[in-house]
Amino acid sequence: MNQEAIAIAVFLFTYGLVVSERIHRAVAAMLGASVILFLRIVPWEKVPEYLDLDTLFLLMGMMIIVNTARNSGLFEYVAIKTAKLARGSPIRVLLLFSVVTAIVSSVLDNVTTVLLLTPMLIYISRLMDLNPIPFLLSEIFASNIGGTATLIGDPPNIMIGSAANLSFNEFLVNMGPIAAVDLIATILIIYFAYNNALKVTPKKKVMIKQTLRGLNEKAAIRDIRLFRKSIAIIVFVVALFFFHDKLGIEPAVVALLGASLILLWTREDPEGIFEKIEWPALFFFGGLFIIVGALEETGTIAKVAEWVLTHVHTQGQALLAITWFSAFSSAIVDNIPLTAAMIPLIKHMSTSMDIYPLWWALSLGACLGGNGTAIGASANVVVIGIAEREGIRITFGDFLKVGMVIMVITVAIGVGILWIRYIGW
Amino acid sequence: MGLFSSLIRRKFKNVAGKRYERILKEYKEFLLTEEEMVLPEIKSILMPLDRFINEVPAEVYDTLSAYKEAKILLVYIIDAQVFHMIEHTLGRKASEDFRKNEERYGMTLLEKIASTFEELDMSTQLRLFFGDKSEDVIKLSEKHDMLVLSKAYGSEITKTHPLSPIVLKIVQHVDIPIIIY
Repeated sequence: MNQEAIAIAVFLFTYGLVVSERIHRAVAAMLGASVILFLRIVPWEKVPEYLDLDTLFLLMGMMIIVNTARNSGLFEYVAIKTAKLARGSPIRVLLLFSVVTAIVSSVLDNVTTVLLLTPMLIYISRLMDLNPIPFLLSEIFASNIGGTATLIGDPPNIMIGSAANLSFNEFLVNMGPIAAVDLIATILIIYFAYNNALKVTPKKKVMIKQTLRGLNEKAAIRDIRLFRKSIAIIVFVVALFFFHDKLGIEPAVVALLGASLILLWTREDPEGIFEKIEWPALFFFGGLFIIVGALEETGTIAKVAEWVLTHVHTQGQALLAITWFSAFSSAIVDNIPLTAAMIPLIKHMSTSMDIYPLWWALSLGACLGGNGTAIGASANVVVIGIAEREGIRITFGDFLKVGMVIMVITVAIGVGILWIRYIGW
Repeated sequence: MGLFSSLIRRKFKNVAGKRYERILKEYKEFLLTEEEMVLPEIKSILMPLDRFINEVPAEVYDTLSAYKEAKILLVYIIDAQVFHMIEHTLGRKASEDFRKNEERYGMTLLEKIASTFEELDMSTQLRLFFGDKSEDVIKLSEKHDMLVLSKAYGSEITKTHPLSPIVLKIVQHVDIPIIIY
């Protein structure tokens, strides 16, 4: 069997394992990468070339910052404050939690965001005696949409930013407006779809307000000094992301600088923080980079790119094809391996067209495609998993009916904005 | 559909792992549980007494005074089994002395506690009877909204243990809220 066939087989086999989740996705990726390296399809000397350290270190730095800040109770504080601001109104709960989820997701990873906000959302919907499903669905969609807005919001964006050398500001300018319009559209769709389920009596509203007033957000703060320092570091890191391209430093360096500063300033136990780094996620990324590297090394990606270019002749066609292909694929399979495979493909297309808009098309499809199905993104799985544990059942079919509509509408809005900006009327 | 449910469960386990359990534990420190969110309506309170109880602490009166509308049933239960054992072993006179002493002590205690509640503008009912200290309380509690129990009720064992075994048994069989003093 030639090396190309083996590389394709390993790629598809790993994809199958990741989709089935029979074994942990990190183990699947490590296994695939080990086979590739053992058979010397990717020579050992070329491993640093394929291993995207920008992505790995950016993820690692942000994980350290988030885990240190988490110890202070900062995120629980945000969740309670949001609940209190909603003042017992279901519409306000829907709106505020969606906006807060989107903003937090645009800076932190989506899984951490929904893990910290979902228990509060379930609590408040139970307090209102309302069906929690519209609130939970809105949170999922807002999380995926918020992650689309920035370079650091979602792993596909980190990978795209690193591969195409795109800055934080470029992401914000190109994806930010799309995310904002998509968020408004999503909240409106959820509002009209579940309008009847979002009503409480005035008497009940008074009771909810009283109960919420009893919640003390300050009680959530476990360490006030750590709380203040965490906010300062997060603000500093986000501010530095705005200027990283002008300063000529990589986003990964910003994240690592923030991680070092927060550990130094707060004097938190580094061993405890390092233990909380999501090593399985980092090994998953590392393994995938090697597996996709094998496809590049054997020329498979180049052949697929050539085939694509024989069918796609214009930038507009490429934009549409990449967006919708990555959106529907991301709804079914993990968007991280998809993005890992699409990046070299788009790079190869640079021989015949300007690929700059295509990066945004990939980001749009990969990030928002996750809204399509219950297994499309990690945030979906986490919220549905938490809901199930709390006795709230959201089936694959239930999610699909709303998720597909949201996915198609939000991606269509995004494509429209990109088309106007880069292709013209 | 079962296929997707198990897939979602596996993915949740792999993605969120034990992180959710930790977060939930942290939230529970300041969020009320579903049961705690609903304030129980207290219309009747059962307060069993016996010879192991000398007095009721002032804090208990303070706490119960929050339920001004509730009727309090003060019951003094004389252990029927002990009465029969005395009668069989020491004779009728000894058992009659035991009954008289118990009734005298019981009525004094009931009236003393009732007068304190009356000062707080709370209505009480008094009952004194022979019976089983745990079974009768469990049965009576079915018709009341709250139970108020002394740690020493039914036994002197609290000198060495935090709760008497009679109290432990009652706590395990009663569904209504209980205040233990």
